[in-house]
Amino acid sequence: MIAAPLERIGEDALADFVSRGRWFGAKTREVTGVRVLAAPVLREGSPGLVLALVEVRFETGSHELYQLPLGMRPAGEWDEGVVGEADGTVVYDALLDAGLVSELVRLMREGAAIEDEDEDAHIELSAVDGAELLAGPWPIRPMGAEQSNTSVVLGEELVLKAYRRLEAGVNPELELLRFLTERGFPNVPALAGWYAYSGRLMDATLGILQRYVPAEQDGWGFALESLAEDPERFLAEARRLGEVTGQMHATLASDSSDPAFAPEEPSAESLGLLTATIDEEIAEAFASLPELGALEPIAGRGEEVREGLRLVSHAGPLGRAIRHHGDYHLGQVLWTGSDWIVIDFEGEPARPLPERRRKRSALRDVAGMLRSFAYVATASELRRGAAVPEDWEERAREEFLGGYLPVVEPLGLLPAGRAQTARLLAVFELEKAVYELRYELDHRPEWVSIPVAGIVRLLESDELSAPVRP
Amino acid sequence: MSAEPRHWFESNPLWFKTAVFYEIHVRGFFDGSDDGSGDFRGLAEKLDYLQWLGIDCVWLLPFYPSPLRDGGYDIADFGGVHPDYGTTEDFRAFVEAAHERGIRVIADLVMNHTSSDHPWFQEAREGRDAPKHDWYVWADDEERYPDARIIFLDTESSNWTWDARAERYYWHRFFSHQPDLNYENEEVQEAMLDVLRFWLDLGLDGFRLDAVPYLYEAEETDGENLPATHEFLRRVRAEVDAHYDDRVLLAEANQWPEDVVDYFGEGDECHMAFHFPVMPRMFMAVRREEARPILDILRNTPAIPDTCQWGLFLRNHDELTLEMVTDEERDYMYSEYAKEPRMRLNLGIRRRLAPLLDNSRDEIELLTAILFSLPGSPVLYYGDEIGMGDNVYLGDRDGVRTPMQWTGDRNGGFSRADFAQLFLPPLMDPVYGYQAVNVEAQLRQPHSLLRWVQRFIGLRKAHPVFGLGSFEALVPENPRIFAHLRQYEEDVILCVHNLARSAQAVELDLRWFAGYEPEEMFGHTRFPAIGELPYLLTLAPRGFFWFQLRAPS
Repeated sequence: MIAAPLERIGEDALADFVSRGRWFGAKTREVTGVRVLAAPVLREGSPGLVLALVEVRFETGSHELYQLPLGMRPAGEWDEGVVGEADGTVVYDALLDAGLVSELVRLMREGAAIEDEDEDAHIELSAVDGAELLAGPWPIRPMGAEQSNTSVVLGEELVLKAYRRLEAGVNPELELLRFLTERGFPNVPALAGWYAYSGRLMDATLGILQRYVPAEQDGWGFALESLAEDPERFLAEARRLGEVTGQMHATLASDSSDPAFAPEEPSAESLGLLTATIDEEIAEAFASLPELGALEPIAGRGEEVREGLRLVSHAGPLGRAIRHHGDYHLGQVLWTGSDWIVIDFEGEPARPLPERRRKRSALRDVAGMLRSFAYVATASELRRGAAVPEDWEERAREEFLGGYLPVVEPLGLLPAGRAQTARLLAVFELEKAVYELRYELDHRPEWVSIPVAGIVRLLESDELSAPVRP
Repeated sequence: MSAEPRHWFESNPLWFKTAVFYEIHVRGFFDGSDDGSGDFRGLAEKLDYLQWLGIDCVWLLPFYPSPLRDGGYDIADFGGVHPDYGTTEDFRAFVEAAHERGIRVIADLVMNHTSSDHPWFQEAREGRDAPKHDWYVWADDEERYPDARIIFLDTESSNWTWDARAERYYWHRFFSHQPDLNYENEEVQEAMLDVLRFWLDLGLDGFRLDAVPYLYEAEETDGENLPATHEFLRRVRAEVDAHYDDRVLLAEANQWPEDVVDYFGEGDECHMAFHFPVMPRMFMAVRREEARPILDILRNTPAIPDTCQWGLFLRNHDELTLEMVTDEERDYMYSEYAKEPRMRLNLGIRRRLAPLLDNSRDEIELLTAILFSLPGSPVLYYGDEIGMGDNVYLGDRDGVRTPMQWTGDRNGGFSRADFAQLFLPPLMDPVYGYQAVNVEAQLRQPHSLLRWVQRFIGLRKAHPVFGLGSFEALVPENPRIFAHLRQYEEDVILCVHNLARSAQAVELDLRWFAGYEPEEMFGHTRFPAIGELPYLLTLAPRGFFWFQLRAPS
């Protein structure tokens, strides 16, 4: 039975609340309906806490599922993030209520399992062994910068991250953070707990609790600031970033007894599948290029790009496939003032969960970071008008790879030989650049020159233009 | 960890309605143990390929212990895995790995009969007092059920065979080494339900129920589609629904549509059933260059419950069956598609898709488009996505079950075993052999059939309308054009196919959609808006267009 006030506030109020959320991923699609599929009660009384799982339907007949942790109090007692009012009860976003957020942490600390008998389902809340969570209550503040989730900082000690859009299966962030935390990898905010739904509807990770890492800024901000003030400052830390990245990959590849993490030898057609996928993306991107000055350097060169890719697709072995970060760039690392911390292990939010969990070459992460260097250099020029030293991006790449490769090469994860590694890296960079091209054309045409420059650079590189030696 | 589908799928009892199925012969797909025979470990290694291809559900041919006198449809143990394919644990691990990638798995199950090697039959033949004697259908003469036809005409002369040990005749609708189970016996029903539960508990997403029309027999009937058979299927369905979520029962009933719809019951028997008669008619339509054979059979197909779905296919592991056509149509099909007698088997043609169509890429694409556009869920047969050929010199249906062609290397990349160890030789002829036709090469060629099929699957999956929407045939004056509308919620799709080997023009009456702008679905090209006058389209030989009709803004 769904709590009465929730049932009475009606579809429209829910639809309105969902579509206002910054985490709502389908802003351009027409919503034809919203309904509550399950609403297990985590706390009775006032304030009450209900975890509503709602279905949002679209006009093509598809749908998405979202998590809404909702608070309930007598009307007039709360006015932030209100969804609606019914039966003298105000229903609101529970993640704005310190008491209810603390309640979630308390339930994790207890290792609570809450049955939802109507749905033959339960919510499990767990703490990591040895997490030693304090009882609270905690003061809270929003983390900001939310995308597909909502993060709340508790007393500058913990971060609760609730996944808004839900997909069946284990969230890769929970898997990766748990794995890295259990193995003592120091450069992540350690996992402290999580909560998950398990029932007829599906099994899904709802959220995680992790340590709060006080950081000066994220890698993107650090690089921008350094470019404006002293370009050498970032370069001096780029090698360490490469090392940390390498150590992260080394840890993720370290357990061959866990099927979710065991490194895999690529199958005969892995390279073919990879290049076919990227080739389709290139074809699609180039098929619909608009007339735009910034696109001139690559206009009409789609076939050349595909040809470059084809050259690589005849190349030798791929190296092993491992679990990796999946959406790695400067915005996903924090600079603490003395070291790097890696965050956000959800993978690319636009890709379906089975794809985000897939093992692939570690070089995908490396390519993501290298592309990020190109971005930050241009962003610095565009946004701050600061001239970036011409060789800055190249030096950042060298520093990063200089830190990364020595850590990873002895592990047998990469293709044999630097030349082959460079070629495969170029393939992943091309994949990223083509993805960026489509993204910028859709969202930020003024940034299009960044992926364009990246594609030109790759076209002129040895990797994609020189025939591959057998 | 169990392979429970709910770990990796959102609950969706109707998932099968929008799914693309892919039929796999485990023995022929990939050899993970280097012994010359495909197996579950090998199959698991190819999940990346299947995920890339975009299929939703794998249908496995029988993988149970079997003397393999009928490709595994002669099951000798319902609760195990044939040792060539691995272990039950390998099976479970494969299902779990498939689920993790968002792929479901259903398996063939033969409920009608067992192998004569099955311990049940061995016990049953001990004599009429043996406890399991009554698990099969026995008689002292061959007089009963004279109206039941013989299905395997090429090999069997009677549905009764003498068993020297039991000193009685036993009943079999298929090969004489496949005695029919006696469903009048309550223990048989229970035993079969146990079998279903065993595999569902391991995480299997459902069954393709082989040869379901023949479970019961009765005097003065042809022994097909009897009420008792439907009653037992309702019992099976109730059992599945009571204890498992999101599973599917797919009936193989090679019957006319008006008889097949009974297998859906009132949504309380099978979730899906194959639409057999539409299949040969798609081939007929292409040869005759007219839409009528397809239109006629669709017109004669009754509506089915909303919670049910047709399974549609061009080719599968069996012969292209011609049981559900007229004698005249059969002669036509033989003369067009099976000029050599050895290409025929029973009442059918034992060939794969590409050779049937003389390897014509245009015709393969056209038939695939028609298949994907019809109301139902398409079922692809392994190897047809790369245009594999067949070997008509191999016996029975082995000619269409040769090893999957992965690469141009030794054994087509199917196995690292010696050639002589392979369960069947891979194709090696210059046109269809593995050096010419293989996955590796086609992945590299942007315009290969494989790449086209992959894009096409993606397109179909982006539009639930193909699985869920209404179907309305348009009947233009030009008889060579097969055109129809599909509609689901706001999504309206117009499909126009030219069955002729010459270019054609067609005028379509689309007045209801005046003001809508057709957008071609592959290249996203906008076409002129629809007006009050007939909409004129010109199509290349064997060409087709799919349009999404965009409402006026």
